[in-house]
Amino acid sequence: MIIGTAKETYGADQALLTTRPQQVWMVILLASLLVAPFVFNAYWQYLACLVLINVVAATGLNILTGFTGQVSLGQAAFMAVGAYTVAWLDREAGTPFLVNILLGGGVAAAIGIVVGIPSLRVKGLYLAIATIAASFILHFIFAHWTSVTGGSSGINVSPARIFGIELLTYFQLYWLIMPVAVLMVLATANLFRTRIGRAFIAIRDRDISAEVLGIPLLRYKLMSFAIASFYAGIAGGMWAYFFRVVTPESFPFLTSIFLLAAIIVGGMGTIIGAVIGAIFMTLTPELLRYVVEWVSPWLPNAATLLSPVRTVVFGALIMGFLVFEPQGIAEIIQRIRRYFRVWPFKT
Amino acid sequence: MFNVTKRSFIGLMAGVSMTLLTSGAMADDGDIVIGGSLPLTGVFAFAGVAIEAGMQDYISIVNEAGGIDGRKVRLAYEDTGYKVDQSVAVFNKLTSQEDIHLYYGDSTGFAKTIAPELARKQSMIMGGASFASELNDPEAFPYTFMAGPDYSEMFSILLEYIAKEKPGAKIVLVNSDSEFGRDPIEPARAKAAELGLNIVEEIITPPGSVDVSTEVLKLRRAQPDYTLFHGYILAPLPEFMTQAKELGLTTKFMGTFWSMDSSIWAGSGDVADGFMGVMPYRYYYDDAADAPMLDRIRAMRPEYQATGYMQGFVTAMLMVEASKRVIDAGDELNGATLKTALNTIKDFDTGGVIGVPISIPGNSIPVGRVYQYDSSAQKMLPVSDWISLQE
Repeated sequence: MIIGTAKETYGADQALLTTRPQQVWMVILLASLLVAPFVFNAYWQYLACLVLINVVAATGLNILTGFTGQVSLGQAAFMAVGAYTVAWLDREAGTPFLVNILLGGGVAAAIGIVVGIPSLRVKGLYLAIATIAASFILHFIFAHWTSVTGGSSGINVSPARIFGIELLTYFQLYWLIMPVAVLMVLATANLFRTRIGRAFIAIRDRDISAEVLGIPLLRYKLMSFAIASFYAGIAGGMWAYFFRVVTPESFPFLTSIFLLAAIIVGGMGTIIGAVIGAIFMTLTPELLRYVVEWVSPWLPNAATLLSPVRTVVFGALIMGFLVFEPQGIAEIIQRIRRYFRVWPFKT
Repeated sequence: MFNVTKRSFIGLMAGVSMTLLTSGAMADDGDIVIGGSLPLTGVFAFAGVAIEAGMQDYISIVNEAGGIDGRKVRLAYEDTGYKVDQSVAVFNKLTSQEDIHLYYGDSTGFAKTIAPELARKQSMIMGGASFASELNDPEAFPYTFMAGPDYSEMFSILLEYIAKEKPGAKIVLVNSDSEFGRDPIEPARAKAAELGLNIVEEIITPPGSVDVSTEVLKLRRAQPDYTLFHGYILAPLPEFMTQAKELGLTTKFMGTFWSMDSSIWAGSGDVADGFMGVMPYRYYYDDAADAPMLDRIRAMRPEYQATGYMQGFVTAMLMVEASKRVIDAGDELNGATLKTALNTIKDFDTGGVIGVPISIPGNSIPVGRVYQYDSSAQKMLPVSDWISLQE
């Protein structure tokens, strides 16, 4: 039982991980990230990469929506901007993939600032509609600016290449995607120890009060849009190297809703929320496949009969979490932590 | 009370996920496995379910006859919801669990995404629901094939029919603003010019659009003899045709494979009457004398089977035939041997599902026939002979 965490230095007060169990769990997590690709088969390696890409995109959206309070349904469009930038650079300039991915994030951030401008006037649902409109404009550009985007058939991306080795397998790509995802999540955690991050939270809690406190709304709201779009751009860039073809249909509007659902289910405004949410939203439909698989010996054509049920179960699970755990899965983790911390006493 | 519910809900979730994670893979049993990323839910589910039935039926016909060289054929498939990332997930799941040399993919997006992986693995060939012209390139897609003409070839078949019926006819192309919709526009222009046909207007409709009144006005200005749709399943075709009829237009409407199922038109009533289009396979109810396989299908399934069924059936047939040829030659099943064997298929009899003997010199089978919908019989009836682009 941990009675309290007495912090004796400023360093300890600012630390990301304050307790011993937290540190131990983090070491276990990092170790399993390193071991995972050796244990997993291609299917799980694929899912691990996909989850990590979604973690980056969801974390970005969490900064904007969960921490700054600006509802956005344009995250998928920013992912597309990143993916197209990478694909275009790969085709036209042939620059190294890390440069491409970074520029993908940069271009997405620049466009994110433009799309964020309405946030200075409108909030909530109105802002959500404005971001939807922006994503439709971007989609139109992807489909019709044929000389750059390849029109409706899109752009093929050559494999990422490092020291002459082409990253072709999921195992290889994992070593690109995993470190980037870890760095991005770590950067987010750090962001909220700085003035910028604190300003975002102040804006979320009450924008007028934040302005009174001396936080320029213009700068910080646009900065939040830029950071969120940067994350989306990076995620999109990795997506481009992962799937190797980018078309206007690669990032449908539904992806934005998927990401918003991920942070709501995971827990808005917590670092772990976006991570857990992205994992939950990506893996649950896949795990439900196994249920279908088990039934198949007893039920011929189980996949045909049960696949619609799978979709319904997935929807019901999301609703279940919203009803029983409105703070998201992150809150469950907090409760489990509390339980062990004060054990044998009741929380 | 509430806490208990919450806790048991979480407990249930944890239990389910634990048990899920501990499941094992299927053992290799010497079967020839056809893998499939099939859209059993989502917008394309109607086709996915039919495709699965068609493939299963052909596979059971083969297995009843003793399989391929004594080895049974089996379809291992899962639902994709018609989403590319899920299709790829299913592909990876199935290929990690089974030894797969034949695969069915559900979309153009998936086919393009998985092509580099097929080239890397070199272990299988892939057919699928996409007839995208881009895939009909053996250089770029060496392990891909389609069980019919690609979308450009479908348009070419229609244009050849038109050129025969009404030389110099005026044509309007109506395509949805998607990769699927825009696919055959360029080649159609070239083919029309070659045949002396006159494309007077090209209309692109936004995906999912319902209101087509402005497009119909364009149609009235153009006064075409034929209007060719592509990139749709059903909507907004009936609306288009209703409004055109109200304006007194005499243009004939035509479509391509995925909008040619007679059951989808049955709900549209009289307006569907006279709708024409290209179809590479015979319909379920076709009682032609030279189609014993259709009798067999009707014996297996007494109720109507959609066009997707025939597509799945023929795809499975070609996969089995290619495997047979590879095994007969004593070769190992892999991408190269299967594709080579597939390309040796010449004047092959599909049991009448396709009305003429077929050959697959490249990635497609450029054969089809023009059908017309008869709303009183609720059937598609042939109006042309089989048109092959190979001659």
